[in-house]
Amino acid sequence: MMRISLHNLSKYFGDVKAVDELTLQIQEGEFVALLGPSGCGKTTTLLTIAGFYRPTKGEVRFSDRVVNDLPPRERNIGMVFQSYALYPHMRVFDNITFPLKIKKVPKKHWGTKATEVAKLLEIADLMDRVPGQLSGGQQQRVALARSLVKEPDLLLLDEPLSNLDAKLRITMRAELKRLQKDLGITTIFVTHDQVEAMTMADRIALLEGGRLQQVGSPEELYDLPATLFVAGFIGTPPMNFVEVSLEEVEGRLFVTTEHFRFPLSNGIAQKVHRMATSREVVLGVRPEDITIGQGKIEGEVYVVEPLGRDTLVTLRIGALGFKVLAPPRFRVAIGERVQLAFSMERIQLFDKATERSLLL
Amino acid sequence: MWARARQWWNKVASYLVLGAVAAPFLTMYVSFFLRAFGKRMYLGVVPKEFGFANFQFLWRPIAWGLEQTTVWTALGNTVFFAVTSALAVTIICMLAGYALSRIEFRGKNFFLVLQLFLHAVPGQILLIAIFFLLFYIKLLHKIPGVALARASLEIPLGIWMAKGFFDGIPWDVERSAMIDGCTRFQVWYRVFLPLVKPGIAAVFIWGFLFAWHDFIYVYTLLPGTIKLMSTLIQSLLATEVIDYGYLAALSLIYMIPPLLLFVFLQRALLRVPVFGGKGV
Repeated sequence: MMRISLHNLSKYFGDVKAVDELTLQIQEGEFVALLGPSGCGKTTTLLTIAGFYRPTKGEVRFSDRVVNDLPPRERNIGMVFQSYALYPHMRVFDNITFPLKIKKVPKKHWGTKATEVAKLLEIADLMDRVPGQLSGGQQQRVALARSLVKEPDLLLLDEPLSNLDAKLRITMRAELKRLQKDLGITTIFVTHDQVEAMTMADRIALLEGGRLQQVGSPEELYDLPATLFVAGFIGTPPMNFVEVSLEEVEGRLFVTTEHFRFPLSNGIAQKVHRMATSREVVLGVRPEDITIGQGKIEGEVYVVEPLGRDTLVTLRIGALGFKVLAPPRFRVAIGERVQLAFSMERIQLFDKATERSLLL
Repeated sequence: MWARARQWWNKVASYLVLGAVAAPFLTMYVSFFLRAFGKRMYLGVVPKEFGFANFQFLWRPIAWGLEQTTVWTALGNTVFFAVTSALAVTIICMLAGYALSRIEFRGKNFFLVLQLFLHAVPGQILLIAIFFLLFYIKLLHKIPGVALARASLEIPLGIWMAKGFFDGIPWDVERSAMIDGCTRFQVWYRVFLPLVKPGIAAVFIWGFLFAWHDFIYVYTLLPGTIKLMSTLIQSLLATEVIDYGYLAALSLIYMIPPLLLFVFLQRALLRVPVFGGKGV
């Protein structure tokens, strides 16, 4: 078992700062997602942890040992690639036992070890096939088996689910999570899919432009996003944003726009008082935190999209558009005028200039 | 009706044109075979009687001037020469191709361009320098030495060929092998070489054929007493009376080994591994 810590990790390619001053601690047995849009530096980070890239600055530590200069083969890590990267000329059995062969584990142990992981991943009956004869899901299991057979201290997964079809992805999400918990191997996985990160990870590190935006449990990132970027990236449908200004009237803080105005709750007002440096702020409200049919704000229904489990309603308040999640079978006509209310304890406020949350 | 006739004519016309272009080559091959197996020729073109009379050299020594050898010695020398040269080309190109495909180092692009440039240099202009080089390292007049010198002519383009094959292997496969514990050399040997088998066969055949057909290096750098097939045929041409039937039969034998090599290696040439998944 291993703790991983990244200390001011930077990786530059020429002038491009792929990863910039990344500091992150990963505990023993933790399942951590590196999440972000393409080009955010998440894969570079993973490849640096694996040892394929040498950090330009900063350190990678495996349980207190600095491993910047340790080649990948000496790090005892398992890795599953997006393309699975099986050896196409070898049978499944030979693929799985390849790490043992290279490590010069005596041949008599190969069978038992391979059977053990193959059973775990339910691929015992595929041992004599070659990768070309396997489906995507089976290839992934073989790749996982190959990475687990050497009992690694750390497991790295690069976009593990993105080559699977939608249905299999949901199954594998749960299975991977269960497998990780059963084995207790410290695991880092890279994904651009926030749902994958939310569902599987103990903690998510969200990156953008090579910089760490926020790290925390899925709930923390969802309920209290540290930056505008995090707020917009996490959650579907995404959070609604409105540029508003703050006004203080008789000791109470109000949020005002052309179209509506409401007072902040005491708890939020206190934090905003402490943090705000300017009156110009961005208000964020999640679609499920708006209720239609009550409240003082008035809007007009623009479009209604039934999603089965709930109904997505797009409202217009003047020139502003809002997405609202309403209960299933919610019936409302396009063009109808409705009342709406925000859940006051769940709104987010961000500094317009720095894009940082005012509620932290 | 007319449209049909026109279509028919178009077809016939294209066959006629293609036939006319192919005719000189076909004539050459046909007369070559006829001569090899024909006993005596009518007007120097039509054989009178077929038989293996021209193939007597298979069991009799071949003489030129005051010296003699057998076709088997010459064939053996040629195989030794071509295989040595092809092995040198293959080993060096496979190592260099991997390095140039996967490892970043200073001057890499310059090196690659230089190879193309070297390929454009005719081998003959290097003969004098190679003569002295082989002389100083005591490999002059020896088949392995000349084979290595001959290999150096095919290595530049062979490196490009090999690099192309390695370029086709996804990076993830290489990284996977390194994670699994391979050193760079083990990645090359255990994972990449099996994956580029068609490439190895192609480079080997490439090296073999050029060495097999070589005349100028063999003629210049080997003593007259060591005959390869090409120099043996040349020495028969240099006699006063040229027996064309004999020459054709000898040339036929000269052609067979490269054809056999193709037959044996074509399976390897066609076996291309399949990489699965996106982003490869």
